[in-house]
Amino acid sequence: MFTGVVQGSGNDTTGAAAGWNRSGVSDMPLSDVYAVASKDIVFESFDGEAVVLDLSNGKYFGFSDSGSKVWQALVSGVGTEALIRSAAGAARIDVAALECFIGQLVEFALLAPSGATPLPSSDDLPAALAAAREPLNVSVHDDLADLITVDPIHEVEEPLGWPAVKQVS
Amino acid sequence: MPRVTLETLPDYARFLLAAAESAATQFPVQRTVRLPGLELIAHLDPGALADALGQAFIEAGGDPRDSRQCHVFIGHPGVGDMPVPASWGDAHFTEHGFAQKLAEAGLRGHHYHDLDFWQVYDPDRRIGVQLMRSPDAFPPWEQGTPLRAFLHWEYAARGMRLAHAGTLGFDGKGVLLAGAGGAGKSGTVVAGLLNGLDSVGDDYVLIDLSGGVTARPLFSILKQDPQGFARLGLGRRLGTDGPLNWQGKHAFHINEIASRPVRSSLDISALMVPHVSGGKTSSIAPISRKDALIALAPSGIAQMPGERESGFRFFSDLTRLLPCYRLYLGTQPEEIAGTIADFLARAPR
Repeated sequence: MFTGVVQGSGNDTTGAAAGWNRSGVSDMPLSDVYAVASKDIVFESFDGEAVVLDLSNGKYFGFSDSGSKVWQALVSGVGTEALIRSAAGAARIDVAALECFIGQLVEFALLAPSGATPLPSSDDLPAALAAAREPLNVSVHDDLADLITVDPIHEVEEPLGWPAVKQVS
Repeated sequence: MPRVTLETLPDYARFLLAAAESAATQFPVQRTVRLPGLELIAHLDPGALADALGQAFIEAGGDPRDSRQCHVFIGHPGVGDMPVPASWGDAHFTEHGFAQKLAEAGLRGHHYHDLDFWQVYDPDRRIGVQLMRSPDAFPPWEQGTPLRAFLHWEYAARGMRLAHAGTLGFDGKGVLLAGAGGAGKSGTVVAGLLNGLDSVGDDYVLIDLSGGVTARPLFSILKQDPQGFARLGLGRRLGTDGPLNWQGKHAFHINEIASRPVRSSLDISALMVPHVSGGKTSSIAPISRKDALIALAPSGIAQMPGERESGFRFFSDLTRLLPCYRLYLGTQPEEIAGTIADFLARAPR
């Protein structure tokens, strides 16, 4: 079920500690504001923890407590500058980690830059981020996701009991 | 051989429904299955699928006048003017794109490429068609849970849901056991049944959220791989001579091991995620609703074609309504059942 965690860079202000950022994601300039990338991105919140489903491919994403708060702020239209200011007092979130995290959400096609006017953060966001117990991270659950390919070859996978499309190399 | 693309899919689906209805009087067999709030009437050939329809379900009692009827025509080119099934003609295929295209036309459907096997359902008219190349050209899982996709679409249209989950209960109260294949759901259900607990299913159950969380039975088949079959002592009770199913598992009916007739429903008081811990004794510990949802929803949505967003919302609502736990499984069936029985005895009604 659980297939991986992608974590922000913690106290590494260069962002170099995060393995995935060599893809160049963290070097991308942040947009002023983001929005949910498409109508296929749906999410729910449970006791403050967010779960996102990409309907187009069946991938699930779960966030840490800090990640859930950042996700909720971003999809509410809070601007990145306001978010960075709100995180200034949070021991577990620094700017580089925040940039990495947002870059990862964009790479996963959960968020996309928006042309909307950035909104200020809520009054209670700084305290909520300061109270977070976990670093920013997103876990990806894709073992039951659709594998999309051309010239599909289907196979029956026992745990699914339903045909899955096999990736063609 | 005609080929269907995403563009022509809605027209092809309507064509199949019309062809089945035109041939309605030429299906040799009619089977009626009474399920919760539903009278499923299947029109088909005699043979393995007709036999499965007579054996695979736990039929509901109650007044049939309270039920809606739906008709599913299970056909092939040997029935009336039923057409030869088409193949998929686009290079690109996604389950979600396929389902979305049909949903825009008010229809539901699924296509299994290897067999040119089509299932199409019109939820407004409650009419479906399953088109196969020949009477026995169906995927192997259809015999264990026949017409599962049609039940999923019909119940989803009413705000209910087939969940990929097991159940155990006592005195009308129950727990829902969630997790992907191999998580221990089926073994836990069998352990409970062998030790005096009730169940309304170990694989797919019908969930209704109106007035709490209620689980109702649909399918009667239980499954165990040979190792689990031996560990649970099922060989002594059921014998080991029967053929294994398409998954290499023993398949048997719930009433072969249950100590009481299957209840018509269980009021679900908790969501549990089994985990094979390797420890000798079982234990139950709280988990976050986020983790419980991720255990429950993916397989339930992946195994049911279409209705993805409604499924995500439904399972989210279900998870919010219940306390959520991880069930660390011990090694002894009686001890596992006792742990769950103790939990149920303390659970509020």
